[in-house]
Amino acid sequence: MFRLDADKTVEFCDGLRRRDFLHAGSLSLLGLGMPEFLQMRAEGAVRDTGKDINVIMLMLVGGPSHLDTFDMKPEAPIEIRGPHSPIKTNVPGIEISEIFPRMARHADKYALLRGCYHNAAAVHAMGHQLFQTGRLSLGGMEHPHIGSVLGYLKGANGDLPSHVLLPKIIGPTGGNFKPGQGAGYLGKRHDPFVLNADPSVADFEVPDMLPPDYLPALRVDRRRDWRAMLDRTVSKFETSQDARLLDSTFHQAYTLMTSETAREAFDLQGESEETRDRYGRNRFGQSCLLARRLVEAGVRFVTVNMFETVFDEITWDIHGSPPFSPISGYRDLVGPMFDNAFTSLIEDLTDRRMLDSTMIFALGEFGRTPVINPAGGRDHWPQAWSIVGAGGGIQGGQVIGSTDKIGGAPKDRPVHPSEIVATIYHQLGIGLETELPAANGRPLPIVDRGVEPVHELFA
Amino acid sequence: MTGSSGSARGFSLGASRLPAALAVACWTVLGLSAAELSILPTTVRLHSPHARQQLLAQVASDGVQRDRTGDAVWISDNPEVASVDAGGVVRPVSDGLAVIRAKADGLEAALELSVTGSGDKFSWGFRRHVIPVLTKKGCNSGACHGALAGKNGLKLTLRGYDPAADYDSLTREATARRVSLADPASSLFLLKPTMTIPHGGGKRIAVDSLEYQVLSEWIASGASGLREDDPTVVGLEVSPREATLEPGSSQRLVVQAKYSDGSLADISRWARYSSTDAGVAEVSDEGVVTMVGRGEAAITVAYETSVLYARLTVPYENEISEEDFSRLTVRNYIDELVLDKLRKLRIAPSAPADDSAFLRRAYLDAIGVLPNAGEVEDFLADTSPDKRRDLVDSLLDRPEYADYWAYKWSDLLLVSTNSDHLNRTALWDFYNWVRDGVARNKSWDRFVQDIFASSGSSRENGALNYFVLHKDTIELAENTTQAFMGLTLTCARCHNHPLEKWTQVQYYRFANLFARIGIKTGDEPGDSVIFTKAFGDVPHPRTGRPLPPTPLEGRELALDSLDDRKLHLARWLTSEDNPYFARNIVSRIWAGFFARGLVEPPDDLRATNPASNEELFDALAKDFVDSGYNVKHLIRRIMNSGTYQLSSTPNAANQRDDRYYSKYQVKRLPAEVILDAMSSITGRESGFDGYPEGIRAIQLPDVQVESQFLESFGRPPRLVCDFEERSDDPSVSQALHVINGETLNGKLRADGNNIASMLKLGLSDRRILDHLFLSAFSRFPTESEQETMLGELREARAGQGSGRSRQLARREAVEDLTWALLTTREFLFNH
Repeated sequence: MFRLDADKTVEFCDGLRRRDFLHAGSLSLLGLGMPEFLQMRAEGAVRDTGKDINVIMLMLVGGPSHLDTFDMKPEAPIEIRGPHSPIKTNVPGIEISEIFPRMARHADKYALLRGCYHNAAAVHAMGHQLFQTGRLSLGGMEHPHIGSVLGYLKGANGDLPSHVLLPKIIGPTGGNFKPGQGAGYLGKRHDPFVLNADPSVADFEVPDMLPPDYLPALRVDRRRDWRAMLDRTVSKFETSQDARLLDSTFHQAYTLMTSETAREAFDLQGESEETRDRYGRNRFGQSCLLARRLVEAGVRFVTVNMFETVFDEITWDIHGSPPFSPISGYRDLVGPMFDNAFTSLIEDLTDRRMLDSTMIFALGEFGRTPVINPAGGRDHWPQAWSIVGAGGGIQGGQVIGSTDKIGGAPKDRPVHPSEIVATIYHQLGIGLETELPAANGRPLPIVDRGVEPVHELFA
Repeated sequence: MTGSSGSARGFSLGASRLPAALAVACWTVLGLSAAELSILPTTVRLHSPHARQQLLAQVASDGVQRDRTGDAVWISDNPEVASVDAGGVVRPVSDGLAVIRAKADGLEAALELSVTGSGDKFSWGFRRHVIPVLTKKGCNSGACHGALAGKNGLKLTLRGYDPAADYDSLTREATARRVSLADPASSLFLLKPTMTIPHGGGKRIAVDSLEYQVLSEWIASGASGLREDDPTVVGLEVSPREATLEPGSSQRLVVQAKYSDGSLADISRWARYSSTDAGVAEVSDEGVVTMVGRGEAAITVAYETSVLYARLTVPYENEISEEDFSRLTVRNYIDELVLDKLRKLRIAPSAPADDSAFLRRAYLDAIGVLPNAGEVEDFLADTSPDKRRDLVDSLLDRPEYADYWAYKWSDLLLVSTNSDHLNRTALWDFYNWVRDGVARNKSWDRFVQDIFASSGSSRENGALNYFVLHKDTIELAENTTQAFMGLTLTCARCHNHPLEKWTQVQYYRFANLFARIGIKTGDEPGDSVIFTKAFGDVPHPRTGRPLPPTPLEGRELALDSLDDRKLHLARWLTSEDNPYFARNIVSRIWAGFFARGLVEPPDDLRATNPASNEELFDALAKDFVDSGYNVKHLIRRIMNSGTYQLSSTPNAANQRDDRYYSKYQVKRLPAEVILDAMSSITGRESGFDGYPEGIRAIQLPDVQVESQFLESFGRPPRLVCDFEERSDDPSVSQALHVINGETLNGKLRADGNNIASMLKLGLSDRRILDHLFLSAFSRFPTESEQETMLGELREARAGQGSGRSRQLARREAVEDLTWALLTTREFLFNH
C-alpha cells in the first residue's frame, strides 16, 4: 500500500503538532491527482539550490581499518600501528596509508572525517543502515535509503531511474538485519534500480533490460502493441491507483529499454580501454566507472557496494582467519582496488568539471580494533573510524575530527553516521524537517530531530 | 440525529431527581422531517466552585445537524443555582438542581443539571489539572521536556505518564527556583512558559489564560503533590458522538471526563484532537471541527491515556434513487450494514458482477488459482439459481483451499527459515501443523490454543515452533499481540503509548505472562521442548521490579501464583473477554476478499484507528464468535453476500469510494498466485530448488526459496509480523522481468507446453483465442476483441509462405498473444 501525506495534525512522541498521513486513495476524494500532490509537497520540501547535486556513495563493505587507511598512528606500538606506514599527500600535514599512492596525489580534493562513531551493536548491518538511512531499522520499521527518499521527493530526472544500486544489494553479513538499501516504508516502487550483474565481466549487460536474443525487436513491439490493445478494452482499472501505477511501470520499463541515453549510460563499451584499466578491471572499479556514467546521464543517487558479503572473499573485514580476510589483503588487493577506482572517479569528475555537482562519500560501516588480535587481524570497532567525502561543495584538503593516540575513540568533532545523512540532504536542498510517511502512518522527519549537517565540510 | 442524544428527547421536566436532559421538540414542517433542538451533553454535573461546562445547542432537521450554540439564546431557570452565559457555558452558583434552556431557530430545549460542592474549598490538583495543562501545551511532548533526555535540564515524562516523577522534577530537583512557594510569581515554572524570561520553547502560555491561573494558583496554594485518593480518569464522553453535517459547517466538540470517584468534568479545553481524514474534516486545538469536504471523518479525542472518537459526516452530492440502492442485493447482514453506510453518505453501489467476473474472483480469493477454461464454460452454461452458492461450497472443499490459506497463515506466523531459528525439520513441522489445521477447518481459538495451551516436543506439536521462532520474551509478547490481537504495543515498552490507551505498566504486566516459558533442545535436530519454568520475571525497567502478570484487559495473576502463566494467557487470549482476538482474524480474513480492510492496515486495531464501517466490523466479529470461530463460515458469509458480488466497474456516484464497499475494488494478485497462474496457463511449471517437481509456489512452506519472480513481485520475507510486509506495489524491475526475463518467456517458448499442444491439436485461431481468454480472463473475448485479435493473428502469418516458416510464425504469434494476455491489468489484477 502506498500513502501520501496531507495536513492532518496529530501529536507524536517526538514532535509537537505534526502532519499525519493518509492513504493516497482518499486524496482522490479531494480531487487532487497524484502528480499535483507530489509536486505541491516537493515544492514545500525541496529548497531550490540553483543546481542539482547528485551523489555517489561507495559502501566499503567489511569495514576498513582506520589505522591502516586514513588515521595512521605511526607513533604507536607495533601491535597498534600495524604493518602499514603513512605517506605524505599533496596537502602538507595530511598523511594517509601507503596502500593509497594515487589518492595521495589528490588530497586537496577530498576531506577526511576521522571522528566517526556509532553506539549500536558492532555488526556490519548497523553501520550500513545508519549511513544509508540515518537510523536503525528496528521494531519492524524499515527506514528508506537516502536515494529512495530523493526519488520519492524529486522523481526521476529524465529516462533513467533516480536511484541506481551497483552491482548488487549487500547480502547477509552475519545477523539477520537488512542492509538499509531499500525504500522501506516508502514502498517498493521507490526501491533502487538494482543492476544485479557484474559490470567487469566481458559480456556485461543490464539483466532483463534488453530482450533475450530469441526475441527480435519486431516481436517485442508486437507484444507491446497487443498488450495495449487488450488493456484498452477494460475501463474499470482507470479508477484504481494501483492499476495505473502498474501501467506506468511498464511505460518506464519500455522507456528504459528504448532510451538511447539509458542504453548508452549502461554501456561500458563506450569507454576506452585505458579508462577501463585506470578504474581497475574488477567489479568495484567498473561499478565506479558505471556510476560516473549514470550520474552524467541524470541519475540522482548511485550506491556502489564494494563487496556483496564479508565471507570467503578478500574484503575490508580483516579478522585475520577464514572465512574472513587477512590484514595483508589490504596491500595486495583491497587497497589498490579502492585506490584505483576512487582516484579515477575523482580525476574524471574533475576533468569534466562535475566535481562541484557530484558529492562522493566513501565509507565503511565501522573501524577496526586498535590492538591487533591473536590471528593477526583486527576485529569490529564502531567506537571510532574514518570516512572520505568529496565534491558537491565539500572543501577538500581538510581533516575533520581526530582520535586518541591509539585510534580507540574520537578526541574531537565526533561524527555520527546520521550526521552524514543530514549533510547529504542539506546539501541537496532538502529541509531536515521534511517528513516521510512511516509505518502506521506515523510521520517521521528524514533524520532524527536535532541531527545537524557537518557544516565544517563546506567551510 | 442518532446515538447518545437519543435519551435527550421527551419531557420529564423536574420529575426526576437524577439530572435529566430534556428536549422540547417543535414540530415545524421543514422539508420531509421536523426540526428538533437538543442540548448536549445530556448529563451535566458541576461538582466544585470552579466547575464549568460548555453546552451545545444542536438543531437536527432532514437528517442534518447544525451547531447553533453561538446563536442560541441561553437562559437559566434557576440562576440562584447555576448561571449560563451567551456562549452556553454553565457555572455553579449554589448547590441544587437547575434547568438551562436554549432557544434557536424558533425551537426550544431544556436540560436539567445538578450542582454540588459549590461552597467547598477548591484547589487545583497536580494530577488532575497541572499535568493536563502541561500536556495540552506540549511541555511534556517528545520534542520538548518529554524527550528521553529532557530539554535544558528539565525532564518530564512523555505526556505525563509518570506524574510522581514529574512532581519530583518540578519541585525537588536541582534548585527550588522552578517552583517557589515563597514567591510563586518568581517560579521558573511560570516565568519560562510565559516568556517573561527567555524560554527555548517560546511562549506557550499567556499570563491572562486559564492555564496560567491553574499553574499559578496551584503553586500559591502550596504546590500539593499526588494523593492516594486522587481520582483517575475512567472514561471519556464526546458530544456529539456522531453527526451528519452540512458542507463547510463547523461543529464544536464537548468532551467530558468521567472520574473514578463518580465525578464528571468538562475537559474539552485540555483534550487533544486530530482528524483521521483531513480532506473531510479539520479540527482546531480547541475542538472545533470544520467540514472541509464530503465523506466521513473520525475526530480522535485523547486525554491522559483515554482515547475515543466522534464520527462526523457530510454526504456526497449524488442524487440517488431507491432503485440505485436496490442494485445491491441484500443476502445477509453484511449487505444491510453496507447499505446503511452508503445511504448515509449518498454513494450508489455498482451493479452486480456478471458470472465470469464472480467466478474468477471467487477462485482467486478463496483458493488462489484461476478456473481453467472448462470450469469457466461449465459455470457460464449452468442455469441453476444457486450456482454461486454451490461454487463457494465446492471451492472451500478443494485441497487448493488449504494450500492457499496455509500460505496466508504462514505469512502471519512467520513460518520460514529466514530468521535462522527454524531448521528444515522445524519448518516442515510448523508448516504441516498450519496446513493440517486449515484443511480440517480447525476453529481459530483451537488453532491458537495449540500454540499457547500446550507444551512438550515441537516434533509432536509443530505449533510449538512459535516459541522457537520468538525466543526473546519481549519479542514474543509483542509478536503475540500483533499476530493475534492486531495491536502494536512496542511504544509502551518505553513510555505510555502516545496514540493508544496502553500504559507502560500494562505492557510489563502483559510481558510478564511470557516470562516463564522455557525452551530446551530436544532429542534430534529440529526438536525443541517447551516447558514451564518455576521462576523468572520481566521487571519493569523504571522500578526494576516485576509486576503481576496480567492480560491487557484481563484478570491478574499474583506474582507468587503457581498457576501456569502461559495457560492463563491462552485462556484469556482466546476468550470472548478479549475483543481483539476475533476482530483481528476477522479483519485479516475480510482483507483477503476486499482490497481495503475494515481498518487500514488490516492488522492495526488500535482504538484511534476507526473502521470504515464500525457496525459491519462488530457484526462480522459477533457472527464469527457465534459460529465457534469458524473460518469457513465467515468466508461463506462474505462470499455469498451481495456486497462481495458487486461489479468492480464504478458508476458516477461511487467512483471515488475506496472504503465503503460500494463496488468490488480491484487489487493486484499476490506474487505466488500470478506465478502459478502463468504456469498453469502455459502448462509449464516453475520448479523450485530443493522441492519436488510440480510443487506450486503457493504450496511452498518457506519463503527462503530462490525465485527472482517472487522476490520482484513482493513476496514477504516473513521476518516481522506486519501485514504490509507483503507488497503489491508495481516496480520497473517487475515490468522488465516479464518483458525480457526468463520466467515468463521461458514458459512461453518451452517445448511441449500448452501452446505447442494447441497447435499440435490443430485448433483454429478462434478456438485458441477463446481458450486463452477463458484461461486468463475467465471470459470469452468480446466481438471487437475477437475481430481485432483474429486479424492480428492472420496478419502475423501473412507472407510467410507455407510449411515450417508459416508454422513458426503462427507459434510465435500465439506466444506473443499469450504474453500480451498475461501482462494485462485484467490478468494481473483481481476485479
